[in-house]
Amino acid sequence: MLAYTIRRLLLLVPMGAGMVVVTFGLLLLIPGDPAALMLGQEAPAEAIAALRRSLGLDDPWHLRLGRYFLALVQGDMGMSLFQSQPVATIIWGRLGATVELAVAALLLASAIGISLGVVAAMRQGSWVDTLAMLFAQLGVSMPVYWLALLLMLGFAVHLGWLPAVGRGAPMSEALWAALRGRPEMLVQSLSYLVLPAFALAMNAAAVISRLVRASMLEVLREDFVRTARAKGLRRPRVVVRHALRNALLPVLSVIGLRFGALLGGAVLTESIFAWPGLGQLTIAAISQRDLPLIQGIVLTFAIVFALVNLVVDLLYAAVDPRVRLE
Amino acid sequence: MTTLSRLTGATALALLLGLSGPATAQTSPALTIGMDVDAGTLDPRLARDTTAFRTADLIYSGLVQLTPELQAVPELAESWEAPDATTLVFTLREGLTFSDGSPLTADDVVFTFKSILNPDFAAPMRALYAPIAAVEAVDARTVKFTLAAPYAPVLSYLDIGIVPKALVEAGHDLAANPVGAGPMRLVEWNRGAAIVLEPNPAYWGGAPAVGRLTLQIIANNNARAQALEAGDLDLIQSPLSPQDIARLAADSRFQNTIMPGLGVTYLNFNTRDPLLADPAMRRAFAMLVDQETIVNEIYQGVDAVATGVILPSSWAYSADISQPGFDPEGAAAAFEALGWRDSNGDGIRDRDGRKLAVTLATHTEDPNRVQTIEYLQAVMQQAGVEASVRLTDWPGFSTNYVQKSEHQIALLGWLNIVDPDRMLYGQLTTGGPLNWGGYSNAEVDAALTAGRTALDIPARTEAYRRAAAVLAEEVPYFIVSYQGYQMFAKADLPVKPTASPRGYLRGAIMAPAN
Amino acid sequence: MRRALANPSLVIGVAIVATIVLLALLAPHVATHGIAQMDMRNRFALPSAEHWLGTDNFGRDLWSRMVAGARISLAIALAATAGAAAIGTAVGLAAGYFGGWVDLILMRITDIFLGFPAIVLALALVAVLGPGVTNVALSLVVVFWTEYARVVRAATLVLREQTYVAAARALGASPARILVREILPNAAGPIIVLASLGLGTAVIAESALAFLGFGLPPPAPTWGWTLAYGTGFMREAPWLSIVSGAAIMLTVLGFNLLGDGLRDLLDPRQLTRASGATRKT
Repeated sequence: MLAYTIRRLLLLVPMGAGMVVVTFGLLLLIPGDPAALMLGQEAPAEAIAALRRSLGLDDPWHLRLGRYFLALVQGDMGMSLFQSQPVATIIWGRLGATVELAVAALLLASAIGISLGVVAAMRQGSWVDTLAMLFAQLGVSMPVYWLALLLMLGFAVHLGWLPAVGRGAPMSEALWAALRGRPEMLVQSLSYLVLPAFALAMNAAAVISRLVRASMLEVLREDFVRTARAKGLRRPRVVVRHALRNALLPVLSVIGLRFGALLGGAVLTESIFAWPGLGQLTIAAISQRDLPLIQGIVLTFAIVFALVNLVVDLLYAAVDPRVRLE
Repeated sequence: MTTLSRLTGATALALLLGLSGPATAQTSPALTIGMDVDAGTLDPRLARDTTAFRTADLIYSGLVQLTPELQAVPELAESWEAPDATTLVFTLREGLTFSDGSPLTADDVVFTFKSILNPDFAAPMRALYAPIAAVEAVDARTVKFTLAAPYAPVLSYLDIGIVPKALVEAGHDLAANPVGAGPMRLVEWNRGAAIVLEPNPAYWGGAPAVGRLTLQIIANNNARAQALEAGDLDLIQSPLSPQDIARLAADSRFQNTIMPGLGVTYLNFNTRDPLLADPAMRRAFAMLVDQETIVNEIYQGVDAVATGVILPSSWAYSADISQPGFDPEGAAAAFEALGWRDSNGDGIRDRDGRKLAVTLATHTEDPNRVQTIEYLQAVMQQAGVEASVRLTDWPGFSTNYVQKSEHQIALLGWLNIVDPDRMLYGQLTTGGPLNWGGYSNAEVDAALTAGRTALDIPARTEAYRRAAAVLAEEVPYFIVSYQGYQMFAKADLPVKPTASPRGYLRGAIMAPAN
Repeated sequence: MRRALANPSLVIGVAIVATIVLLALLAPHVATHGIAQMDMRNRFALPSAEHWLGTDNFGRDLWSRMVAGARISLAIALAATAGAAAIGTAVGLAAGYFGGWVDLILMRITDIFLGFPAIVLALALVAVLGPGVTNVALSLVVVFWTEYARVVRAATLVLREQTYVAAARALGASPARILVREILPNAAGPIIVLASLGLGTAVIAESALAFLGFGLPPPAPTWGWTLAYGTGFMREAPWLSIVSGAAIMLTVLGFNLLGDGLRDLLDPRQLTRASGATRKT
């Protein structure tokens, strides 16, 4: 398993390098001059040309790409053009918010998806099943930004129950404060988290519920469940101990596969709820043509995506002895 | 979520991070203001986005301060005099210090302006200061500016924040850890989310009425308005969506200031384009701009119908000068006179077998500009012009298109027009650095140069009116609207906010409510 | 056929998709007004006999713009999906059949494109290529082909070991012939299912691009534009965003139901097995 892990981590190198090259190519072709944007509308052409030279933007592309890789292997992602901070510092400062949102959304999606899927499978063909599957179909069909806007309008603006935009204290700090007997910070942080997490979770919840239902139905038909039932075990116990545990395996793999989609969804969700994470940063960086920052973000996405998939695969192998890692 | 619990959260956060402000921070009220973008830097010399300017204005002080009426009043300088047309001598107040306690002297002023003027420093606003030939410290409290030529607008630009020379030369990073002599100082900067400020006890002008100021960044205009309505924010200001403005203005929970701003939205005609080189052609297109509908329907009356290149609030404005108004028949007649007729009955005018086709361009970030362009397109189509729309994001529109003079007709804006010179000289003089439409007219060149070098207001007024009259006739620029400025705040705010058309915030923090 | 009719997902999915396709095809005939016909005195009119779905921010008839928008959405989705499926299938077939370094290189390239968040890649591509129907579709092709490559590769890995493939090979058939005549028809099931689900994803992706300002320029009446405009007028004219959002959702729902139905009909286990297998490489 260690060898497998190392092999997978090594595969990250060509993938990350490839993504850097693809991004670099796109940024070469994208219209918009970062130097002119940095100096604003009122800057004269000579000033822009001078800044382009000092930023090295006029150097041949292979020189720039080579320079980037050389710095990268030394652990340097460069300086942001617009925020006068190292790219790594900026990304590190935003990563927490996005991970918090993504984890919250995944937990929410799993909770909703698994319970709906289980109930639907156990009452297969009933109105509960129909309703649950209708929810699932609507969930995958709904544009995430549309749902986000409707949620914001309903719960924040009309009802005023939750804040419309922004983020409270980071969850880690809020939890720590709550443990020391100061729960109000946690309540505040959660109140900010609910709407964006729910908007982001909806799609994954729908996918998970369909998957749980399908695999539950399959498992419930299998021999060992029938045997357990024949042995007189009560139904809920059979479901939890045997059927659900087996049905969760495919869910695990879907979570890994969906994570990329989740990060993509976070780009839109964060923009709408002003959630200060990587997604919002991505849009800002692209709209400013902050080349080093865009490169850094893409690389971060690659690493996160690959690591999550690796962890899921390892978990999968650990839980299911039938799976062999090649 | 109320402001109270938000404050608790912020205080808890401050405690947790081991931060503690002076005693005033606990007793004076807290204020949360919504901003549209995060600051790129908190070094005033490098500021280029509105939040950077507005925040730097709180953390730093300049030699002068501009009032909401754009009058320069003493700030760090207690007085100044102009012994001749190209010399300005400023006397600093006694005992000035930066927020870190170090003294602020004439050396700091000289250092600030020398770095701005240094081309390698790449200060975004360097062009505004370019006519300054030399800055010298006469003594610790006296600074002398020498101009290369008389430059009347210079005083309006000397409100830029003074930075501490010693600290910067020692390698301190002002961009992230600002140190200034303004009324506030930085507590915490949570990038992309919020900038938290507290009073600077070293400020010469006394303590602000606000104990803690949070500038919360919410990019989406609608979302920012909703956050005010939800009680998350205490104060918001332009840019806002017209429909939000109409709704908030009618809501008794909020106080508001709605006044003319310092910006224009205009059509930039490329006068080097064969189709648009003839002023008669530009006038014909200008006659198809239905300003009333654009201003009243799309901008909901928030902006005002423009008549020319001078803002109505400016001393140089004259109601007698007027660019062409909406006149579809006049436009049709003009097109006919120039030989553009619909000879094949396809609804589009043509001449010598070529269709009358034009490209209208703007950027996607501003939904009102997008709607304006879409509306213009429909009106032009009806008038027999095949109008196509080019719509990209700002970088693809500005730096890669208009600034390279590849456009035909582009819709964009100029901001912060604190002096007529700022949106005319570089833009419309022959070969001017911002003259993207390639306009050239000797009479206009002479008038704009006179406007910049004449030193008394009557002479400047006369010069700008002369230029404005020619420009209204030749329309290299067609000014669609004068931008409005709006500020909305909770009705029961602990401070009495005074709005500034530039959106600067000193007026929101200095005066207590009663 | 009877199996198809007994499958409610399929029936409802086909019904929805057929209705929308029909409206799109007949758009010029079922539209009551011109799509660019403005009436600034009649902005945000409520639904009425004259304007079935009300009017938009320029007083244009929303119904006419929605049916015209269906054309654009469907055209982009169809082009993007066809392109993605074609490229992805070719890559998947080659990687799965030839294995070795061909497989290694093709799959590493697939990984690279899979690593990007879809919307970010699409957005950057549209920014590079410029807006327009072809360019938006092309951007979505680049984003979506990876899924097909992985699924088709997995199916090919299984299929190439089948006796009839071995037989064809023994008879001296060229690899191209084997891939096209023997393997492709048997891998068609998952491709068709993926494609019908992908059509829905493409509709959403196109609207998301428009929402972020990277859609088609006006006066193209795309659903994404109407929705993006509509969000600015959510209180004055909520029907703008509700109707356009609902149109997007209904279309996607139709494609999803169709895809689910096809999956059940073609082979309930094939796709799960195939996608499960890709994961473990």
